[in-house]
Amino acid sequence: MTRVVVDPLTRIEGHLRLSTEVNENGVITDAQSSGMLFRGFERILVNRDPRDAARITQRVCGVCPTSHAMASGNALDDLFGIADQIPKDALVARNIIQGLNMIASHATHIYVLWLPDIVNPAYRDVLATIGETGNALWKELLYRFAPISYRIDGVSIPPGKAYVNAIKEKKRLQEAIAIIAGKMPHQMSSILGGVTYRPNVADIGKLASYYYEVMDFVDSSTLGVDHGTWLHNTFQASSPQNAVKFVVEHLQELVDKSLLSNDFSHSAGWGDVELLAAFGCELIGETLLGLPASLKLDRTGGYDSNSSVGFLTYGVYYDVENGDGYDPLEFGKTGFQKAAFITNSLEHQKFDHRNVTEEISHSFYTGEDNLHPFDGVTEPVIDADEINYSGNDQSKYSWMKAPRYKGVPCEVGPLARMIAMEEPLTMGLIKSFTDNGYSAANTFTRMVARVQEMLIISEQLRKWITSDLDPNGRFSVPADLNMAKDSQGIGLWEAPRGALGHWVKTGSDSKITNYQMVVPTTWNSSPRDKNGIPGPIEQALIGTKVSAVENLLGIDNSNPTGIYHAARSYDPCIACAVHTIDLTKENGRNKRVFDIV
Amino acid sequence: MTTIENTDFFSMDRRTFLKVVGAIGASAFLGVHHTDITKALEISKTKIIWIHGAECTGCSESLLDAGNPDIVQAIQKLNVDVVYHETLLAQQGIFVDGKPAGTSELNSEILLDEAIEEGDYILVVEGAVANGPNGTGKYCMYGERTFKEIFKKAASNATFIMAVGMCATYGGINAADSEIVDMTDFRGVAFQRVDPSKGMLTELGIEKPVINIAGCPAHPDWILLTLAAVILGKIQLNDLDSILDKYKRPLVFFPEDITLHENCPRRGYYDKGIFDTEFSGDACLWKLGCKGPYTHSDCALRRWNGSVNMCTQAGSPCISCCEPGFFDNGAPFYQEAEDKAIFSGLNMDNAAKIGIGAAAVGVAAHAARRILFDNNNEKEEEK
Repeated sequence: MTRVVVDPLTRIEGHLRLSTEVNENGVITDAQSSGMLFRGFERILVNRDPRDAARITQRVCGVCPTSHAMASGNALDDLFGIADQIPKDALVARNIIQGLNMIASHATHIYVLWLPDIVNPAYRDVLATIGETGNALWKELLYRFAPISYRIDGVSIPPGKAYVNAIKEKKRLQEAIAIIAGKMPHQMSSILGGVTYRPNVADIGKLASYYYEVMDFVDSSTLGVDHGTWLHNTFQASSPQNAVKFVVEHLQELVDKSLLSNDFSHSAGWGDVELLAAFGCELIGETLLGLPASLKLDRTGGYDSNSSVGFLTYGVYYDVENGDGYDPLEFGKTGFQKAAFITNSLEHQKFDHRNVTEEISHSFYTGEDNLHPFDGVTEPVIDADEINYSGNDQSKYSWMKAPRYKGVPCEVGPLARMIAMEEPLTMGLIKSFTDNGYSAANTFTRMVARVQEMLIISEQLRKWITSDLDPNGRFSVPADLNMAKDSQGIGLWEAPRGALGHWVKTGSDSKITNYQMVVPTTWNSSPRDKNGIPGPIEQALIGTKVSAVENLLGIDNSNPTGIYHAARSYDPCIACAVHTIDLTKENGRNKRVFDIV
Repeated sequence: MTTIENTDFFSMDRRTFLKVVGAIGASAFLGVHHTDITKALEISKTKIIWIHGAECTGCSESLLDAGNPDIVQAIQKLNVDVVYHETLLAQQGIFVDGKPAGTSELNSEILLDEAIEEGDYILVVEGAVANGPNGTGKYCMYGERTFKEIFKKAASNATFIMAVGMCATYGGINAADSEIVDMTDFRGVAFQRVDPSKGMLTELGIEKPVINIAGCPAHPDWILLTLAAVILGKIQLNDLDSILDKYKRPLVFFPEDITLHENCPRRGYYDKGIFDTEFSGDACLWKLGCKGPYTHSDCALRRWNGSVNMCTQAGSPCISCCEPGFFDNGAPFYQEAEDKAIFSGLNMDNAAKIGIGAAAVGVAAHAARRILFDNNNEKEEEK
């Protein structure tokens, strides 16, 4: 047994340590995921003006600050009792801000954070085993996806074309957000009661132009076909089977055309998605298309068949068809991305936030365990000797708590959202995988879901910008601080990387007495709970083979690609996950969890 | 006569370029924008080690939003070698049975140690340094060591240190008022809030030249233009006092005698005494809590994200995110400042000297505020 530790896992937000045991067959048999930072965010919020929370909580994460501003805004709208009055156009503006950030964040994750793993030198060696085709493919991957400051065997590799262009598009998307939200990161516009800015006709024109530029990037890099064609045949397919059929037939055409010429360029029809779908995935590439090799990403990051890991989403984006206002307690019941809890056997259940609890048996906190976020009474360990990250399943080893839904660890993020909306391509792929003995959730399905969500939201975004946003509409409603006296609010939302909840309580002076955030990476990167059940990333690591393509060229513990792929496919954000933690001020009133149905 | 306006940097060889740049003052050079800086970076090769402590990665995100030069231009074409940057580099820390495995091409821990030992680099710090609990620094660790140890090692061998963003400069949100702030004990590189005696360098007994790029996040121009000036020797590291304010911010971006308010796109409304009292309007944001008159930054001129917008233009009160002591000094963000103690370093004289035609009410209110703020300012500094 060998102990293989990745620390820090780079190309994510924040500091994450993954500690694994690898057996003599190169299979990971045990894993611990540790958040390595304690900041004390929620303690900092106590005793402040609640309106400031929408600005302060953005500083939890500079990658997805808008999501925190939105979740916080929802909690504040509820706290002040004005959620039902928020003007429709303010909700549209918030949707646009979030939609743009969702695309920017996904693009950053795919191109800047995740794809550099595909140009790991281990894949050069694997692809070399299939001769000219493999070598041509390796060159194409390097040409597209190499990161900055990259060297292999002492030779500097220039940054990839797709990598560089993705950074430009990400920058443009941030500019688009800034048009209506002042600046990015840490946008200034979404506040209690609406947004601070009334976009004019020129702004709407600019937003539309940014939108079309981004879609140009999608069509000239991400996809080998026009995005409209892709969505029509996948997202709008008549059945999940037909969605998969379209993709496989599309890939088959490309393969037939290119295997002789070894031309894998974009002009030959190979978008980034097509390259990864054909050569990244064993089931599609080798089994269905008959290719001689693949990177077998679908063999990494899956759950064991006995795993209990469920999928959770709170829903996201306001249903602007309904006009003014929304109901924070019913959030995610309407709209196009809905709330749901989905069991490990893919059974959909109604989401009820009262089922959310957080445990601390393996986290560096003391106090009562297994509480709803609203009743959290948690104190950080203050004795330095007790802070030991090389812990095991008997000890504390992370600054992340262990959130559970009905006691079940949950995966959150694009895959959970795509399952919740029963997106045809995602569901079709999942069925193909499970029928063939693979885990429904794996590195490949997570990445496909992320790309697919990026495309689906872009279509929605066009509608919000070009037809829903009315420059003559209203964009905010006033609220007096007194309205927050002895109150409480709930803010449910989705960050790019998954379900995000803010809970706030105030006292008789309207100041914050308690503020709780349960964030996506705390779900995904959770440590074990009191029953010893590992979190989703821990479970996804266990059973994954440690080195490239299922140890095809032997076990190499010093280049554990299996760990990189599995963990990064969740798009971890550790600053969020360890924003941590409040000591509830028991004020003798309102010791209740929200009573919603 | 050579002036910055009529100089064609692109037609020069390295020697001429340095000579010409040498003839122009540091502030003038820093005031230059865009393509000139591109050339400036092109002629020198500089190593940068960028480390992350307690932070949100917002400043790295902001850096990716840079333009002219953008980050890829800076790295690829302009000979800036980002040796280590946790969010961008291909490598990760890998330990097999407790020992760092492989080489610097795959292992970021080996890469970092080798780069530090090689020396001759600029250290960029993003994020605060945890000192807690009890001076151990264990509230922030990676690669089997505390960030405090990493910082100590990297700082000791650096040519100079640039602290980027509010967390690395003054502690930022990590050092904001709370019940646990003494326990977590987060430090900026050279300050904790406004206190230089509690900077992490002082704590560790290290003396290095430091420039603070304030902001939450730091503006990418502020980061890259300052780096360019240092690389070119336009900023003399042994004479930083002449170009920095007392919080070590470059005066050209954070002027002592001008506030954001002076150049605010909504300034005309203030002068006419027209104030918004509800959000999503067009007028002056003072009554909605704007702290622009107390914020020494060039945001209003430079603007953000490719200069498309900035906070007050988008109807948001300035929250003073680049003044030491942010978040407490600017808060509550949405409350008129008269009700709240504001912070140090302000100079309301200019704000009070509003031109002819200014609403008398505005002038009077500001005069009163000035006295209030000066008093509170002293309190903050004594703290």
